Amino acid sequence: MNHIALKMLMGDKGKYFGIVMGLTFASLIMTQQPAIFLGLMSRSYSFISDVGLPDIWVMDSKVQFVDDIKPLQDTELYRVRGISGVEWAMPMYKGLLKARLTDGTFQTCNVIGLDDATLIGGPPLMLDGKLEDLRRSDGVIVDIDGARDKLGKPSLIPGGQPVALKVGDSLELNDHRAIIVGIAKVTRTFQSQPVVYTTYSRAKSYAPRERKLLSFVMVKAKQGQDPAELTRRIRDNTGLAAYTQAEFMTLTYEYFMHNTGIPINFGISVLLGFIVGAAIAGQTFYNFTLENLRQFGVLKAMGTSNWTLLRMILLQAVLVGSTGYGLGVGLTALFGYLMRHSILAFKFPWQLLLFSGTGVSLICVFAALISIFKVIRLEPAIVFKG
Amino acid sequence: MKIKYLLPILAAAGFVFAIYTVIKGNKPIPVAPAVAEPASAPFKLFIAGSGIIEPKSRNIAIGTPLPGIVKTLSVKVGDKVKIKTPLFYLDDRDTQAELAVKRADLAKAQAAINEAQASRKDTQSLSDLAEAVTDRRAISSEELLRRRNALQISTAKLKSAEAQVQQAEAAVLSTQTTLARLVVQSPIEGEILQVNIRPGEFAPAGTLNTPLLVLGNLDQLYVRVDIDENDAWRFDKNSKAVAFLRGNRNFKVDLTPAYVEPFVVPKKSLTGDSTERVDTRVLQALYSFERSQLPVYVGQQMDVFIESRDSSGNEGTGL
Repeated sequence: MNHIALKMLMGDKGKYFGIVMGLTFASLIMTQQPAIFLGLMSRSYSFISDVGLPDIWVMDSKVQFVDDIKPLQDTELYRVRGISGVEWAMPMYKGLLKARLTDGTFQTCNVIGLDDATLIGGPPLMLDGKLEDLRRSDGVIVDIDGARDKLGKPSLIPGGQPVALKVGDSLELNDHRAIIVGIAKVTRTFQSQPVVYTTYSRAKSYAPRERKLLSFVMVKAKQGQDPAELTRRIRDNTGLAAYTQAEFMTLTYEYFMHNTGIPINFGISVLLGFIVGAAIAGQTFYNFTLENLRQFGVLKAMGTSNWTLLRMILLQAVLVGSTGYGLGVGLTALFGYLMRHSILAFKFPWQLLLFSGTGVSLICVFAALISIFKVIRLEPAIVFKG
Repeated sequence: MKIKYLLPILAAAGFVFAIYTVIKGNKPIPVAPAVAEPASAPFKLFIAGSGIIEPKSRNIAIGTPLPGIVKTLSVKVGDKVKIKTPLFYLDDRDTQAELAVKRADLAKAQAAINEAQASRKDTQSLSDLAEAVTDRRAISSEELLRRRNALQISTAKLKSAEAQVQQAEAAVLSTQTTLARLVVQSPIEGEILQVNIRPGEFAPAGTLNTPLLVLGNLDQLYVRVDIDENDAWRFDKNSKAVAFLRGNRNFKVDLTPAYVEPFVVPKKSLTGDSTERVDTRVLQALYSFERSQLPVYVGQQMDVFIESRDSSGNEGTGL
């Protein structure tokens, strides 16, 4: 019987392609759009996930997300350091400063100041130079995307690609000289500004005069110390906000969820993909069943049970469903692969495979259901009619 | 291959590729290790503070009593000096000239004494002659009076000349003191930590942002620990304290309490910037340590941890 079902399905190539294509596009949209959405959202907190060493981030209690800097007094560092359960606490400066490029244009950069002695919080991957080189005078490390593109030197040919910055080149940061001692790879951030790493004291001299300049205190909990308990203790003792890395990522993510139109836009795209996919696939599948109604009638007249017929239809649905799903996620992966070097945000976690799988399954169940009703209510006598 | 099987095969390939992308795309980001392991407190409850190394004598910013051009510098950085060792000489040409004038004045005053003495001798002998005459009629009383008065006048002139010599001598001494003040000497036995003047430069008198010379006794070093005023109530000066060298936490030393300055001062951000910002007020505690245990220099910053008692208690320690 399964053989007959497959023959029925694949017999008409046009229809077969039609159904599969409908499901493929539904699956593609339901995978690719959320992947871009997740990619964008993960960029909102990519800075936090890039800094892997500390467990806890301490900041002003009114900070809403990672780029919302409300600086602290320098002595807060020592107050946090003096809380029991803290293995170490390090300062970090994070701020937007203007860099003046060789051709005279200005570019806003995300300047990160790391503790002078330990350089904790540095970029995850160094492509050129070493993190220790930051100790050299006026040394800064820039990220590769910034060095290639936004901070790049003007091209020798008019209109050409900018020339990437290399180790040894200089920059002007807020009227101070900065020498590039390393190139790093960092995860792109939401605003995609060039990232400039330097030491905390140098960052403070680059930054405009302000009374408070300490953006974050990064804390490592002592071994065996419950981070949740420690964050509570830091909050109680200092009155500052303390979040574990995951909590801070969630805070940032939630800010973008509630304060930008991104989730609604992508949610609508995904919903449209689902509806269009359901409509096309459902309709084509239903049409296909209608056309094969005669054959089902013959089978029914020959004494095939409703149960067998139902199984046949389900088999057909599962087959087109999984084919469309496989093609859809495959195309999404291919899309991500082809775009891997571009500015596009793309993140494909395993949960997304389940999500689009569920979506395609729903479409197939819906399509199969309307066909099944038709076939079960079918009178075998129809074969002999007209 | 039949076209109808192509789609399922493509779909299977697509699914496999998607799984590959999922696995490959979600690798955890590598964590940048710390360049130097940060120091961590060896106590359960503790106060953390930043410390700065200073000599027991503190850093003495040498000033000059008189402003002037530096003539010669007789020490260099790192020199060990004793008390009263000359550090630098200011230009003294005008004072030397003045001294010569004052000495000439003295010589002149001394010459005036001789003159006054001679004159007194003269009037004395004339007066003696007149007094020796026994017959009052042989000399007029006017003549006698004149000679007596002349003697008194010349005696007074001699006294005045002697006072002039004293004045001239004092003037010479005063100029000599000025001359001595143009040589700046070491007030203590110690080591030259910094030299900010060179011969030919003008050394102004008064408080300077950049001291002319910095001097300190390095026999014993102290670490001056800033304790945030918010933590000051937890501080007990007799509890254990450990200092770690920045950059390498393997260099650590146990501290011995020296004294606490019972005056809370505004903390400056130790940026080294000319306009250091006042953040909060800090209690400063001083600790001594075995110098041989640490390769430290004066002015270096250290991470200091001081053990504290139960933070939930509400009784502080009286100083």
